[in-house]
Amino acid sequence: MPIRLEKVNYTYQPNSPFQSEALHDIDLVIREGDFVGLIGHTGSGKSTLAQHFNGLLKPTGGRVFVDDWEITAKNAPLKKIREKVGLVFQYPEHQLFEDTVYQEIAFGVKNLGLAKELIEKRVRKALEMVHLPYEDYCNASPFALSGGEKRRVAIASVLAMEPTYLILDEPMAGLDPRGRREIMEQIKELHEAGLTVILISHSMDDVAQLTKRLIVMHQGRIVFDDDTRHVFTHYARLQELGLDIPTVTKLVLALRSKGWKLREDIFTVEEAKEEILKALREESKQC
Amino acid sequence: MLRDITIGQYIPGESALHKLDPRTKLIAVVLYMVGLFMANNWQGYLFVTLVTLGILFLSQIPLLIILRGIKPLMIIITLTVGLHIFLTKGGVLLWEWGIFHIYENGLRQGIFMALRLVYLVVITSLLTLTTTPIVLTDGLERILRALFVPIAHELAMIMTIAIRFIPTLIEETDKIMKAQMARGADFDTGGLLQRAKSLIPLLVPLFLNSFRRADDLALAMEARCYRGGEKRTRMRQLAMGGRDILAFVTIGLFMLISILMRS
Repeated sequence: MPIRLEKVNYTYQPNSPFQSEALHDIDLVIREGDFVGLIGHTGSGKSTLAQHFNGLLKPTGGRVFVDDWEITAKNAPLKKIREKVGLVFQYPEHQLFEDTVYQEIAFGVKNLGLAKELIEKRVRKALEMVHLPYEDYCNASPFALSGGEKRRVAIASVLAMEPTYLILDEPMAGLDPRGRREIMEQIKELHEAGLTVILISHSMDDVAQLTKRLIVMHQGRIVFDDDTRHVFTHYARLQELGLDIPTVTKLVLALRSKGWKLREDIFTVEEAKEEILKALREESKQC
Repeated sequence: MLRDITIGQYIPGESALHKLDPRTKLIAVVLYMVGLFMANNWQGYLFVTLVTLGILFLSQIPLLIILRGIKPLMIIITLTVGLHIFLTKGGVLLWEWGIFHIYENGLRQGIFMALRLVYLVVITSLLTLTTTPIVLTDGLERILRALFVPIAHELAMIMTIAIRFIPTLIEETDKIMKAQMARGADFDTGGLLQRAKSLIPLLVPLFLNSFRRADDLALAMEARCYRGGEKRTRMRQLAMGGRDILAFVTIGLFMLISILMRS
């Protein structure tokens, strides 16, 4: 069952001089199994939009449905919805507070009223999903971990709720290259394991490598909602919106402008290699 | 919900009140309070009301914002009014029901108290609504120094930083609350003890982040060679003008008249 947004509007501090419209008439469907990238400039409304998916914000206009539940309804089962739609905020390691990693991850699960063994099973599984061995970490203090590990613990604490949808808000921000790579790998695995993933980012390189579908936001509106591959062909428009295109694509475009015969919809290093080698071979044939 | 808090909020504008020197405004607020507390009869309160409305009009701040500032205080105001109405005796008995009596004096006292509280809040919030926090503490520092308070600069700096971080902390609280809710926290059900306990996931990260932020700020200030108020010069010097003298005369007159109208 999908997440569905109908004509969603959101205004911060309505009826005050600081009133600002963050979302404007958003129509959107996220289907189960999707791997969606949500990209936009700072202040484009992407984080605001994400908070509508699990009812942390309620639209000032329009309606939001998760499965058959209407978030906008008065008696919406918000806890159920938040169990189903996991949201990992930016810098989630800033929200850690427990004594041990075990307690940290069990925090949300405890509120579900599960038996002790079941809680432990979930914690174990969640830690496994982020590649932290249970025995080594369960009694460690979350504050003694490295930045990357802290973040993985925070992500695990959401995963322990066993959501169907996982929304990650800039999960790679502020990590070193190794931490980034690890998180990226794990997100990919999570999607392969059946989670519907929505990845919010402003790094085109990240979404290009991971996502199948890309939503581009600008000033509270959806500009593109299409195949990732397809969206990148509108590079001129993207750069106009202040968004970068993947580094490899930039290289390919630069080569094209020098007269190389290359496809323009290239955004991974592998593809670029193939394409450049092909072009080189063609050239040598002609000589 | 947390965004409704308006303490220390500044609304940009070009009104006469905005352009006054912060020192003038600070002293004027004190003088106004004296005038307000001197009023003790209908004529006095009518006069204070008219002057307050005049100041409000001068500030050009939308009435809605002022009202929103009063809203959180409704409980205190209601309580005070209630206590005065029911507990003050004297004058004609107006209403009686069981052990409850309302006397003429009580009613009068209640209304006066409500007006006093509301005007107090209105004027003090006007001060912050029309003055940027930086300029305000700047003015405070100068006043404190004129009063020979030894650590005037440090006090003012502490205030500046505290005011500066109110919105940041509110935003942060909002964010952490949402983040914990997203991973299953429950802030609004359960008994008193349960609710107090549920604040731990909010308070621990909030404190930790505040300490980290304070550390960063101290480092950043030191990196820019901050070393207290000694021999410190200012880019924007405060200067009083004719407008300020006029303000002093007006508010002084207000205080005098209010004292003279006492009965």
